[in-house]
Amino acid sequence: MQEKTKNKIIVIGFVIMLFLFFIINLIKKDEQISVTERRKLAQFPKVTFQTLSSGKFSQDFESYAIDQFVGRDSFRSIKATFSNYVLKQKDNNGLFLLNNSIYKMEYPLNKANVQKSASKINNVYKKYLQGMNVYFSIIPDKIYYLEKDYLKIEPSEIEKIIKSEIQNIKYIDITKSLKLEDYYNTDLHWKQENLQNVVSKIQNEMNLENTSNINYETKQMGNFYGAYYGQLGRKVSPDKLNILTNNTIENCITYNYETKKTEKVYDEEKFKTSSDKYDIYLSGATSLIQIENPNAKTKKELILFRDSFGSSLAPLLLENYKKITLVDLRYINSNILENYINFENQDVLFLYSSVVLNQNVFK
Amino acid sequence: MVFSSITFLFYFLPITIAVYYIVPNKFKNLVLLVASFIFYYFGEPTYVLLMAFSILSTYIFGRLIDKYKETKYAKIWLILALIVSIGLLVYFKYTNFIIKNINLLLKHKIDFINVALPIGISFYTFQMISYLVDVYRGEAKVQKNILKLAMYVSLFPQLIAGPIVRYTTIENEIENRTHTMQKFALGVRRFIIGLSKKVLIANVLGELCTTYLATQETSVLYAWLYGISAMLQIYFDFSGYSDMAIGLGKMFGFEFLENFNYPYIAKSITDFWRRWHISLSSWFRDYVYIPLGGNRTSKIKWLRNIMIVWLLTGLWHGAAWNFIIWGLYFGILLIIEKLFLGKYLEKIPKIFSHAYTLIIVMISFIIFNGENVNQILTNITSLIGIGNVSLISPESLYYFKSYFIIIVIGIIGATPLIKSISNTKKYNKIINILEPITLVILFIICTGYIVDGSFNPFLYFRF
Repeated sequence: MQEKTKNKIIVIGFVIMLFLFFIINLIKKDEQISVTERRKLAQFPKVTFQTLSSGKFSQDFESYAIDQFVGRDSFRSIKATFSNYVLKQKDNNGLFLLNNSIYKMEYPLNKANVQKSASKINNVYKKYLQGMNVYFSIIPDKIYYLEKDYLKIEPSEIEKIIKSEIQNIKYIDITKSLKLEDYYNTDLHWKQENLQNVVSKIQNEMNLENTSNINYETKQMGNFYGAYYGQLGRKVSPDKLNILTNNTIENCITYNYETKKTEKVYDEEKFKTSSDKYDIYLSGATSLIQIENPNAKTKKELILFRDSFGSSLAPLLLENYKKITLVDLRYINSNILENYINFENQDVLFLYSSVVLNQNVFK
Repeated sequence: MVFSSITFLFYFLPITIAVYYIVPNKFKNLVLLVASFIFYYFGEPTYVLLMAFSILSTYIFGRLIDKYKETKYAKIWLILALIVSIGLLVYFKYTNFIIKNINLLLKHKIDFINVALPIGISFYTFQMISYLVDVYRGEAKVQKNILKLAMYVSLFPQLIAGPIVRYTTIENEIENRTHTMQKFALGVRRFIIGLSKKVLIANVLGELCTTYLATQETSVLYAWLYGISAMLQIYFDFSGYSDMAIGLGKMFGFEFLENFNYPYIAKSITDFWRRWHISLSSWFRDYVYIPLGGNRTSKIKWLRNIMIVWLLTGLWHGAAWNFIIWGLYFGILLIIEKLFLGKYLEKIPKIFSHAYTLIIVMISFIIFNGENVNQILTNITSLIGIGNVSLISPESLYYFKSYFIIIVIGIIGATPLIKSISNTKKYNKIINILEPITLVILFIICTGYIVDGSFNPFLYFRF
C-alpha cells in the first residue's frame, strides 16, 4: 500500500468515526436508567446563566455525554476485555472474574472506618441493649474464600476492633460455616439455600433450638443477574435464584415502617419487576421492618441489626421466634429507634458483612 | 475541556473540524479563535475574561514596544508589560503560598485570598512574555491584528498544558499555512498516540500511584513499584498531552516544535533536561539564563544564574515547597555535573550513567508528587528498606502482577524502539497496512476507557 493511500484511509477513518458518533449521539434517544449498571443515567444538564458561568454545565455535560454514549455497554466491555486480556490486569475497577464468578475487592482494611462503625454499634448498645443477650457476627466477603493471592480483609481483624470497643457482646464466628460455593457468581450475596450451616451455628451460639431437621420447599425463581454482573461489563452466565419456604414462612406477615405496608416474606412480584432480583427477600433494602410469626411455638423475639444479607437469613430463623425486627443502621439513626421498638429482653444480633463495616456508612 | 473527554472528542472536535474546513481561508483564524475561547470557557468559565484582558494588554504593549522601537521608551513599555503579566501570574498562583509562609512568622495571621488558579495561566503567560520580549528584541514582527494575536495565545491545542509555543515558531503560519492530507494524517496519528499514552498508560498507572499514596503499609517492592509508576505516569501524561497538541496543531495546519525527546534514555541530568519539557527549559534558557549572563560571566555568577533558573523552574510547576525543593535539587545536580561529575559520566559504561540518571529522576518525581516532608522521606527511604518496612507485602505482590505488563509497555514506549522499527524501510509495506488498523483499534479502546472511567484531568493542569 502506498503512503498516500494510507494517509487517506487514516484521515477518512478518523473523520468518519468522529462524525458518526457525534451524529448518532445527537439523534439517539436518551435513556433514563442503565439496566446492567442498575443506576439512573445522567440527563442533559440544565442550561441557565448560573450553570454556564459556574462550570457546572460543562461538568454535567461530560457526565451526560459519557452516560448516554451510544453503545456504552459495549465500550465498557471493550475496556474490561482489554484490561483483562491484554494488560493482564488482575482487576477492573476493583472487579475481577475468576472461574465464571465475579468478585469485587474491598481492600485494605480501613481501621478508622471500622472503628467508627464499631462506635455506632456501641452507641446502640449503651442506649438500649445493656443487660440483654447481644451477639455479633461478621459475614466475610466471598473473596475471603479465595486462595492467598487475592487481597482480602480478615473478619478476625474487624472482630478485634469491635470487641475492643464493646464488652459484653458475644462473637459468633461463621467463617467456617461458609464456603465459596455458598455465594452467587454474579452477586455479592450468599445463597439462601446454602445457609443451613450458618443457621445452625447461630442457633447453637444463641442457645436456640436447632432446626436442621425442618424440611423447606425449594422454589426455583429462575435466572438471576446479580449486582456485579452489570458493574463488570462482561458476559457471564447468570445464577439461579432459589427461595426456601414452608408453612411457617408463608403465614408470616411483614410490616415495613417506611412504606407502612404489610407484605409476605417473599415478594415474588419484586423478582419480576425490580432491577435487583435480590429484592425478593423482604422486598429489598429498607430501614426498619418486622416479621410476625403467627404460628410461633415461642414468645421469644429477635432484633436483627443487619444489611441486605440479613434479608435472606432472617426467614430461616422464624421457627425460633415470634417476632423478628430487622434494623438497617445504614438507613436509620439509632437515636430514634426507641420510637418504634420497645427494647426489653429480646435477643439481639448484629449481622453485618465485612464490606459494610469497612465503609463507615452507619447513620 | 480536556482532550481525553467525550465532550472534546465527539462534540467539540467534529464541529470545529467541520466548520474550519468549510469556511474560506480568510475566516479560518477566526474560527480557531472562537473555538479556542469556547474550549477555554468550557473548562474555566470564570477566567475567560482574565485571558481576554491578558491578550488585550499584550497586544497594546506589543504595539507600544514596536512604536518606540530603538528608543529608551521601548524598554519601559516592556518592563510595564512584564509587570502586568507576571503580576497576574503571581497574584493568581502565588499569593496564598506567600501569605501562608509569611503567616508562619507573624503573630497576627493574614487572611488568604479567595482565588482559584486559572487553568493554563502559567503556559499562556510564558507565551505572551516570549512574544513581547521577541518584539522588543526585534526577533518577531509586531502583530497588528488583535484577533490574530488572540488566536495565537488562545489556540486550543496548546492553550492549557503546552507545549509553550513561541510566537516566532508559528508567526508565518498564522498568516499563511497549508493544509494537506499528509499533514492531517500525521496529525491524526500523533493525536491518537498521545491519547493512548494518556488514557491507556498514564491513567492506569495513576490508579496504582493513588493506591500507593493512600496505603498505610509500604514495602520495598511496593516503593519501587510506586517510584517507577510515578515516573512513567508523569512522562506519559505530559508527553501524551504534547503529542495530542502537536497532532491537533497539524490537523489545523500548524507545526509546533517537539516537547519531549525520549528523556528516559538520557545519560546525565544535563542530557535529561535537554529532552524533557523542551519548550519550558529552552524558554528559561532564552528569557532568563542568557539575559542574566549565562555562563559567560564569573564562576560565582554563573552558579547563581543556574540556581535562579532552577528555583524559578520549580516555582513554575506549583506554589508549594516540594516544587521549590524539586527545582533546587535539579539545580544542584546540574552544577555538580557541570563542575566535575559530567566528565566521569562520559567515561563510565553507559549502563551506569543511565542508571544514575533514572534514579535521580525517579527520586525527583517522588519529591514532585509528595504531599509533605514525612511522606517524601518515607517513600524514598522505603526504596532501600530503611525503617520498619518488609521486602514484599501481599499488596505489593498483587499490584506487581496486576501492573507488570503495563509497566513493561511503558518502559518500552519510553524508548525509541517502536519508532525505529516503524521507520525501517523493509517493513514499510506491513506498517502501511498495520498503521491505520492499529490507530482505529487504539481510538476505540481509548473511547472505551473514557466511557468507563470517571473524569480524569491532566496532571499538568495545575501549572
